[in-house]
Amino acid sequence: MPIGTAATEAQQASGDGRHENPLTGQEARVSSRVATLEERFADPHDESNELSYARLLQADEAGELPREGERLLDDLVLNADFVPRELGGRLERVDTLVRVMRQLFRRDVALGLGYGVTSFMAAVNVWTSGSEEQRRHLASLLLDGGKVSVAYHELAHGNDFVRNEFEARPSVGGGYLLNGAKQVINNADRADAWVLFSRTDPAPGSRSHSVLMTERAGLDPARHRVLPRYDAVGVRGCHLSGLEFDDCPVPASDLVGEVGHGVEVALRAFQLTRSAMPGMALGAVDTGLRTVVRFAARRQLYRRTVLEIPHARATLTGAFLDLLICDSLSLTASRAVHLLPGETSVYAAAVKYLVPRMLGDTMNALSVVLGARYYVREGEFGIFQKHIRDLPVLSLGHAGSAACQATIIPQLSRLARRSWFQSEPAEPRLFRPREELGPVPYDKLTLAARTDALSATLVAAVDQLPGGTPQERAAHNLALGLTGELRRLQESSRSLTPQNRTALASPETFELADRYAVLLAAASVIGVWQQARHDEDPFLADAAWAAAALHRLARRLGQQPPDLPDGCESRVHEEVLRRFEEQRSYDLYDTPLAG
Amino acid sequence: MSAPTTGPTAQALSTWLVERIAGYLQRETAEIDPTVPLAEYGLDSVAALSLCGDIEEDFEIMVEPTVAWDYPTVQALTGHLLEEFAAGPGAA
Repeated sequence: MPIGTAATEAQQASGDGRHENPLTGQEARVSSRVATLEERFADPHDESNELSYARLLQADEAGELPREGERLLDDLVLNADFVPRELGGRLERVDTLVRVMRQLFRRDVALGLGYGVTSFMAAVNVWTSGSEEQRRHLASLLLDGGKVSVAYHELAHGNDFVRNEFEARPSVGGGYLLNGAKQVINNADRADAWVLFSRTDPAPGSRSHSVLMTERAGLDPARHRVLPRYDAVGVRGCHLSGLEFDDCPVPASDLVGEVGHGVEVALRAFQLTRSAMPGMALGAVDTGLRTVVRFAARRQLYRRTVLEIPHARATLTGAFLDLLICDSLSLTASRAVHLLPGETSVYAAAVKYLVPRMLGDTMNALSVVLGARYYVREGEFGIFQKHIRDLPVLSLGHAGSAACQATIIPQLSRLARRSWFQSEPAEPRLFRPREELGPVPYDKLTLAARTDALSATLVAAVDQLPGGTPQERAAHNLALGLTGELRRLQESSRSLTPQNRTALASPETFELADRYAVLLAAASVIGVWQQARHDEDPFLADAAWAAAALHRLARRLGQQPPDLPDGCESRVHEEVLRRFEEQRSYDLYDTPLAG
Repeated sequence: MSAPTTGPTAQALSTWLVERIAGYLQRETAEIDPTVPLAEYGLDSVAALSLCGDIEEDFEIMVEPTVAWDYPTVQALTGHLLEEFAAGPGAA
């Protein structure tokens, strides 16, 4: 049945409540999928388990993807999670895909990327811009267990990418001739098809490239080859290699979207992938925190456990807050793809910019508590160094942080003049992690935002937030201070010189994009807390985490807010310990884990 | 929001565009030939998006963010925008 109908009914039924019937619909499907994956992945500390940290580390040392892990994912048909439900798959929402994939990234970033995300990144181009025929064909390829690779250069900004490009030259008899090489492509050697970003016109500018989906089967073997595999610092099991073509003919039907619209196709696909990937990778930092709590709870120093040392406690609490902040922003951006497609270009760039950076900082802070064990590649805590090596690939892959800032920069002055302090706040369900959503309106994803409902949530909060308890008053005051920051950002963005609105903008302008991303994270925290206030999760409903998270963000912006009232950090710390003891996830979902 | 009842002339529009683009490129207005593709001057995609924002701001008209890709010269952009003005305010 069409998903649209189901979603509309659910939205009507939800009326004032959020999940009228939590045991049916999207929430039931995603939570049971997550539970199935966790059950099959089993205890990460049991060395006889194929997906234990010990075995995953062995595979990494050998530079291989865990074979049993891949077999298990084949068996579970993980590819179905990348295929829209209307095409026979399980993909219903971007935020629920993030939840499913987070299960993999808790164990192994290489497996998450190497088995899955690459195929998703490639497929999104076809879901957003492909023909019905291409969509069906790719759906069946993936559902049959096939893999798809994606090869595009850095696209988001500048004119560097127009030089030295891989070419798909229209050939006389129809179709194209592929020429040139693409490097550092995940799964290039074993994919059944590749999504290739190719120059189709020698003219400079942004209408000279096209996206092609080319299948390996049927290609002239004398005219293409897979280049040698790269040896990388992290994700060592991933098959990173390259492709080289020499006047290799492909049919006209390989073209995805219109000729010359490749930049647009890719930028639209990026809005989904940038929104989704950082939230998936968050799973690795969940494990990072869990590993360090495990260490700190046992290790005795100065006649007490490390857990009792104030600096260590503060680091663990801060790490959990970072995870909650990043998950709030990730949730908001991935739901915005469904609800605010006209604004997603900005939110997706903010997530892809800020979340990998914050999570990197979090891991570095945690490594200090782990001390010398951080350097050990094996044993009980060895997974930590693997995750810390693997994580940077997420900010390198497919959009570096500067590229994401460059996506935000040209939008700042328009948002400053037309939207901030004027737009209506986002609707409540943007912030409700378990509420149903309709399908992604692919045709409404646009390349530049005219409005920003997320920052409007921050502004509106100043009049809406409760002020009963000291924790609530702290959250309110912090929201006030952050709104002042948005005002200053507005002034700076209005007066940007023309040169600062290009890819050659000054470092100060890139800094504005950073501050804006932090404010969007603050707005997301406020939104999630506001909507959770009457929810069944007492921790998310409590002002303690929201105040502590906003405090952290205010300090990140260089503000010096007053100390938090008693009960904020201690409440968050208690939750860190509870979730460790009860084996629950360190994110917005409090998911039961196998260990 | 008040919309201008009559749009600008081709001359005024072309002059406005040349001034903006010269500003982004840090060049003299005299260097900008209305018939040369902007990408050949090195106008990057970030600046092209900024230009769309300027057009909306100064002329109170909605344009596609890709307008400078589809109409890649000052002359082409001028022609396209004049058509948009003729179609009425708020047209995309």
